[in-house]
Amino acid sequence: MTPAWIFDLLAALMLVVAAVSAVRLVAARPWRPGSVIIDTDIAHLLMAIAMAGVLASSLSTLPGTAWEVIFGVMIAWYVFRVVLDARANGVRALAGGHCAPHLVHSGAMLYMFLAATSSAGAMAGMAGMSGGPASAMLMLSDPTLAFVFAAILIGYSIWDLDQLSGKRYGLASARVPLVQVRAGVPAMAGVPAMAGAESVAESVAGAFSGPRHAGADLDPGTGSRPDSGRADGSHVVACGDGAIGDGAAAGGAIGEFLLSPAVTVGCRITMSVAMVFMLLIAI
Amino acid sequence: MSQVAVTPGGRAALRGRLGSEARAAAVRPDTRRALQLGLAAVWLLDGVLQYQPFMYTKAFAQSLAGTAAGNPSVIARPITWDANLVQHHLVLINTTFATVQLLLGLGIAFRPTVRIALAASIAWSVGVWLFGEGLGGVLIGGASPLNGAPGAVIIYGLLAVLLWPADRAPSAPFIAARAVGAHVARALWLVFWLSEVYFALIPANRAPQAVNAMIVRMEGGEPGWLAAIQRGGASLVANQGLAASVALAVALALIAVGVYLPRSLAKATLVLAIVLALVIWVVAQALGAILASGATDPNSGPLLVLLALAYWPARTVIGRQPAAGRHRAAAVLAAAGEAELAR
Repeated sequence: MTPAWIFDLLAALMLVVAAVSAVRLVAARPWRPGSVIIDTDIAHLLMAIAMAGVLASSLSTLPGTAWEVIFGVMIAWYVFRVVLDARANGVRALAGGHCAPHLVHSGAMLYMFLAATSSAGAMAGMAGMSGGPASAMLMLSDPTLAFVFAAILIGYSIWDLDQLSGKRYGLASARVPLVQVRAGVPAMAGVPAMAGAESVAESVAGAFSGPRHAGADLDPGTGSRPDSGRADGSHVVACGDGAIGDGAAAGGAIGEFLLSPAVTVGCRITMSVAMVFMLLIAI
Repeated sequence: MSQVAVTPGGRAALRGRLGSEARAAAVRPDTRRALQLGLAAVWLLDGVLQYQPFMYTKAFAQSLAGTAAGNPSVIARPITWDANLVQHHLVLINTTFATVQLLLGLGIAFRPTVRIALAASIAWSVGVWLFGEGLGGVLIGGASPLNGAPGAVIIYGLLAVLLWPADRAPSAPFIAARAVGAHVARALWLVFWLSEVYFALIPANRAPQAVNAMIVRMEGGEPGWLAAIQRGGASLVANQGLAASVALAVALALIAVGVYLPRSLAKATLVLAIVLALVIWVVAQALGAILASGATDPNSGPLLVLLALAYWPARTVIGRQPAAGRHRAAAVLAAAGEAELAR
């Protein structure tokens, strides 16, 4: 059998991902009006906790049914996001978008919980699902679906790693004042300087070292979206790999790093590889 | 990236903002980089498969030892030594194997380490071909294009050579020629596919039930849909071993000479190579038996597809562009991070 310490190691990695995501969420200050919440971080936090529980039974938190509901909701959310993204960006939304990988993650997690609970005997090892004793006994019904999910996740991992090393994602946080967020300037790092909006979004561009993106639907004069302007004190939810910041990040350089888009993408790669491991081990 | 205002009763505004997604522009990989990423994906898959429970049982060491049988002693002895070593230090060695392959995949995907990872993958491929696969069975008469001859792992090494990030050929007609030159690349292609022709026609593969038996052997443990496809394939070639082998050999020979033919015919033979690789992968190799558990790799099918794509004729020959065009192309490549790779 695959040694238990490998599962424990991966579970520990998932806890690190969960911690980083939690830090990013706290930095978003969701309790304040006009704050920025990145749904990617919420997804990472929940998935990492669920995966840690599956990998190491001692880290199991919620019953399997609760996770099924959570991932069902996440799938619905990301389907909605991907459809809108696809309308705006075409099929590129599936290949290079930020929401499609999270949709696949959510689908893979839901599949793992459902496949486990539907064959309770064999799945006794999936700790978070049935409270079984050892995750070294992971087994899933329908290996074809497991392989399909694994293949897609491998594709996304490799693509993300290439893009990460191709400097698509910066290592510094965006340093975007919330006043700019409210004014509709791209709220997160990883958002490139927009065509005609460099003067306003300069601080965002500083965090992004890749090629510049053109064609965004910003007002060329102000860099604002035509429908922006959030003087109503509402929150902002963003799906992306952005960093969160309202000026200097707390914790100095480490804070900057933790809030950078590269860290989010790094977390996504780690989770993808761990998920591929879980899927293929369980075939 | 989008920002979403969660406002009471603001559904239209929410949709509007969600839809107006603006994101960091992707760093578009060129064709060679895309193929490198394909190779990285297969290595990553290999690495994770190596962590499967089966690989931590003595059956894995026994399967290694089994490849020694029939080989000359100079080949068999190190395989037996290796298998014994694996048997005695199963957890340590198999975890190392798995981790190395995982790192090769991640290393190729990570641009700053692409060269070192490709170089390591060549060494690893040769090592595994020798110690883990017994030279793919080429010396014992058991090799067939249907079971991945001359050994899937050596194709990883070949791909790493052909996709090496260098531009030795100033006017490369296809991607594989960029690193080693068109003549060498074509010669490698010819030798590889002619060896497949040879393996298709050896007596063991010409026997009336040889092809049928090879397919039937792979059926065990496969999901219903795949087993049904295999049964269909097996019934087509039942007692037709000679005819199937000859037909396969003709197709392989056409593919072998294809890269020397004019552009349109070359494309046709490459399409044939891709289709044949996929058919063999599904019907004869059962997707590398991944779905039946216990596979160490997806076998040769996906690698042959990558190999064929590396020989796909380029739309333009880089070295023959006008100067202005070259400068524009260089600027695009630099923007895409290609300069980093070519350093």
